[in-house]
Amino acid sequence: MFFSQNNALDTCATESKRIMTVEIREDQKRLYQILWESKDFVDFHTLLYKTKMEQPMAMGTITNGQDNGWLEVQEVLREEVVCEKDLEKILQEGIPERRFLGLLNQHSPISMKEAAGKANDMGLKINEIIKWGSLRGWMEKQKGDLVITELGKASIQEEDDDEKALKICLDTKKQKEIQKEYENGLRLSPCFFLHEFQELGFDSDRIKMLLKNRPELAKIKERTIRKIRLTDKGREVIPTLRVKEEEKNQLTSQDIVSGEWKNIRLRSYDVKLAAQAVYPKKCHPLQKIIQESRKAFLQMGFEEMVSAQVELGFWDFDALFQPQDHPSRDMQDTFYLKRPDKGTLPADSDIVEKVRRTHENGGDTGSIGWGYRWDENEARKMVLRTHTTATSIHSIADNPNPPRKLFCVGRVFRNETISFKHLPEFHQVDGIVIDKDASFTCLLGTLQEFYKNMGFSKMKFKPAFFPYTEPSAEVYVWMESKKCWIELGGSGIFRPEVTLPFGCKVPVMAWGLGLERLAMIRYGISDIRTLYGSDLDWLQEVRLCQ
Amino acid sequence: MPVIGISVKQLNTLLGRTLSPETLVETLERLGCDLEGIAQNVFYSCPKCGVLAEKLENEEPASRCATCGYESETPFESAGQDQVIRLDLLPARPDLFDAGGLARAIKGYLEIETGLPEYAVLPPEIEVTVDARLAQEESYRPFIACAVVTMPEIDSVMLRTLMKLQESLHWGIGRDRKLSSIGVYDLSTITPPIRYTAVEPESMQFHALGKGDALMTPAQVLKDHPKGVAYAHLLEHLKAYPVLIDSKGQVLSMPPIINSDETKVKIGSTRLFIDVTGITPGDVQKALKTLVTSLIEMGGKAQAVTISDSKGKIVTPDLTPGKISINLPAAERWLGLKFTNEEAKNYLGRMRFSVKGDAPDYQLGYPAFRTDMKHEVDVFEDLAIAYGYHRMPLPLVQSMTIGKERPEEKIANVARSIMLGLGFDEIFSLVITTQENHFQKMRCEPGKDHAIILNPKTAEYNIVRAHLMSGLLEALTKNRIKPLPQRYFELGNIVLMDETNYNKAREERHLGFAVMGENMGYAYGRSIVDSAMRELGITGEYQALEHPSFIQGRAAKVALSNDLSGWIGEVHPEVLQNFSLTCPVVLGEIALARVV
Repeated sequence: MFFSQNNALDTCATESKRIMTVEIREDQKRLYQILWESKDFVDFHTLLYKTKMEQPMAMGTITNGQDNGWLEVQEVLREEVVCEKDLEKILQEGIPERRFLGLLNQHSPISMKEAAGKANDMGLKINEIIKWGSLRGWMEKQKGDLVITELGKASIQEEDDDEKALKICLDTKKQKEIQKEYENGLRLSPCFFLHEFQELGFDSDRIKMLLKNRPELAKIKERTIRKIRLTDKGREVIPTLRVKEEEKNQLTSQDIVSGEWKNIRLRSYDVKLAAQAVYPKKCHPLQKIIQESRKAFLQMGFEEMVSAQVELGFWDFDALFQPQDHPSRDMQDTFYLKRPDKGTLPADSDIVEKVRRTHENGGDTGSIGWGYRWDENEARKMVLRTHTTATSIHSIADNPNPPRKLFCVGRVFRNETISFKHLPEFHQVDGIVIDKDASFTCLLGTLQEFYKNMGFSKMKFKPAFFPYTEPSAEVYVWMESKKCWIELGGSGIFRPEVTLPFGCKVPVMAWGLGLERLAMIRYGISDIRTLYGSDLDWLQEVRLCQ
Repeated sequence: MPVIGISVKQLNTLLGRTLSPETLVETLERLGCDLEGIAQNVFYSCPKCGVLAEKLENEEPASRCATCGYESETPFESAGQDQVIRLDLLPARPDLFDAGGLARAIKGYLEIETGLPEYAVLPPEIEVTVDARLAQEESYRPFIACAVVTMPEIDSVMLRTLMKLQESLHWGIGRDRKLSSIGVYDLSTITPPIRYTAVEPESMQFHALGKGDALMTPAQVLKDHPKGVAYAHLLEHLKAYPVLIDSKGQVLSMPPIINSDETKVKIGSTRLFIDVTGITPGDVQKALKTLVTSLIEMGGKAQAVTISDSKGKIVTPDLTPGKISINLPAAERWLGLKFTNEEAKNYLGRMRFSVKGDAPDYQLGYPAFRTDMKHEVDVFEDLAIAYGYHRMPLPLVQSMTIGKERPEEKIANVARSIMLGLGFDEIFSLVITTQENHFQKMRCEPGKDHAIILNPKTAEYNIVRAHLMSGLLEALTKNRIKPLPQRYFELGNIVLMDETNYNKAREERHLGFAVMGENMGYAYGRSIVDSAMRELGITGEYQALEHPSFIQGRAAKVALSNDLSGWIGEVHPEVLQNFSLTCPVVLGEIALARVV
């Protein structure tokens, strides 16, 4: 159902002032009837159950009755206790602080270190135990030791209120009872409410305090119960209401063909009410950003380039003048491959020779080089490419003749442990311009256009130091939503040591940025794993245009 | 990257100015520093060794001393506050790690003092002899460079600055003390000449800094001293450990671990002896040059030290300026800027070069600590920084070029719109995956067709994907409690071994999809593949496929008209169980294009 109906009482009421009767629908009459028969407040969910009305429809009737002064609505806040699915198992084993309590009783006082060790042996976390144990007043820290309290000792045999309450929640007989009440419209939900425990003689405030931040046991959800009763005015008016002729919700094909539609009165909709949310199938949010960056480049006349993810160390590092002892080549940072372990250096041995000499003494590039012995074997090692700059240098080697504008989007890999901040792979875009007029100022000008194309209107450049560009600049863009500058990519002119060995005699402007960071900022994600987590709810609910 | 706090007061004292923190931040940013902001630092004095620990105002007070390891139950006493500029260290510029170095750069940039900084070094009086043992494998740490620096009387601020700089250089140049490490001593406690030698782990004892009340053998230091424990890995492969000892047998230090207690620098010390030891000569010299020049900037006077070994004698530190020439028109072309002769000279002077000659060619001298000068483009960068990135013109190149997409991207974009139209959600999974998910859980033998990672940090993530199916099944696992049917697709590259390529591998762009739901079987998968192929203009020939991942008789291989292939199948119940799935799944995958 995409639209919720509202009753037409408003219009009817005005029209009917002249004839002094008000028309209502059959189901609305049922609702008023129930209220009429009850002297006291009636719960909204009970009304729903008894009238078999749709919720929006019943709500509409009540709002209307309220506006007319016929009904009085009271809202009561109730706190529902929703048990977690593993609760039964946890309670059977005993909650962590209870499991630890017996042991603490024997060893109290116990040093924190020892306590942590013992907790660890039991598969428990000492922080949890102390947090909840102290909150319960079962234990306390004294001069760095953990000590059991009198209440703690007493509690070894005696369960706390929340434990008792949760056991009641799990009691099958009780569950059946409340389920039945729920099905009969006598309860708002098939769960227990805090106030019910108070009635059973427990301290519901304590239960709330103990369960409030403990989602592994149960969640406390606030729910509003609406209670309704007739006002005195209502009691006068209700008997005068007349049921009007039937309204229909939807025309059938039969109605249209037969001409019956002329006799049918269709209910009006409240067009301002929200409809049920539906989600289209859409491209992945990260894909959206990839396609935007590709478009930004294509619009600026850039040709898309590509290179392998499984790459020779030569192309990933050596060709970019990264010395063989550079920290980024460490096993710590780079994925090396066991299979394939070695690749083939460029067939043109002249190129390899030029790279070697550039590293060793600068060769013909005008540089003094790094001053070490370059090892061909190191360059033959296979890695998972650490940056798409490897793609750029491949393209320069393939054709160094200006003018060329090139870009790529690709996955790059870093030897990272998976965490909320890091993944072992992410997407990078790289762009290069090989041009006789290429210069540092042209680079900044091009970056300004590129980032404008990516949707950022305000940016600034800051000096930076990258190993294969000189000068280098970092790009900061202004995030209006966060009111701050965010670093979003590096750039520079390739060093002659990078370009000259491949016969490229003009300056090459180069820049790149990581897309995941941009995606995280745009979609408001704090955990990078969300992007690769395939969580259906997130995929549906995330808004592509932000 | 480590963050350091530079005292605004100290910086202004060194500059001889009273610049606002905001002006300093702006200047430092224009010089290329990565600024974290302005903050208030609180100092805490260790009751045991007296060294200051610093914390941010909003952090918990210090209660543990990083130097001596002393831990107190109550916080240390506060020893005052200071406004600081916080910045990320730039590994490429160790000369900007401390107040002295930063002041030198700011002086130039703001024209308080320009041109080459002069660093006088007095002739050596002290000699350090290097034992040949240090060049042997069993006690390898052969390189050493030393200096003597006389400072104005050391106060607590200077002591703190010195220790921070030492720490930063250990990180930035020494790679956490591996390539080089620094020792600083009060020279008045040492009786030269000094020997740099190697000793057996149990052969001697000394008072290690921070644990000065007990004599420890080098082996005990590695086991019981906090610094020893932290850096034991640098020595564990050696049979004898490096030590510096003076003529009276007083141990100076056990590099790269710890100094001795007797020779430590204290408040009131003035003459400092400095050593840098390490395994790469360049980094040893660089660390010493950087440290000594920064100390000179902070009021020190340097004196050389003679290092003698079996090969002869050298004198360190060598603070002779480096020389490089540049051509101004080349710089103008590289940067896209125009400079008059005066402007060029002014900018170079502000970046602390000495300049000889006039346009078009200049002969420059640069300070000894600038070890990053390899090519004239390195000077061009300094010219650009002096000009200011914030006021550069922003032109574009004029050449006309045509934008062009890669064919695999074109076809993937069409495939994406088809799959979205068919009601599938797009997912992204990782290229790096686990052998278990990729093969074992799919009831397959790993085979020899996929790439294997040698050194993964997370041991299970050890292969590069050769198909998209396990990623799709993982997506189903993730969402298995949500309403059915569920439909997912992924467009991504897979890697297979290929001897004919330079990298012994080839990449293909694949389209993979998975559907989970009651009554979702082969026929549904076939409809999807046929529909996609029809829209993409690909044809295919189907053949029955026997594959352990699929139910027998419910899988097909399809030979595609693009010379690649694909497959469809109802997933074997055991595979479903392996992925914790309880409902039938049909998988399909077709190769759209060869990428490389």
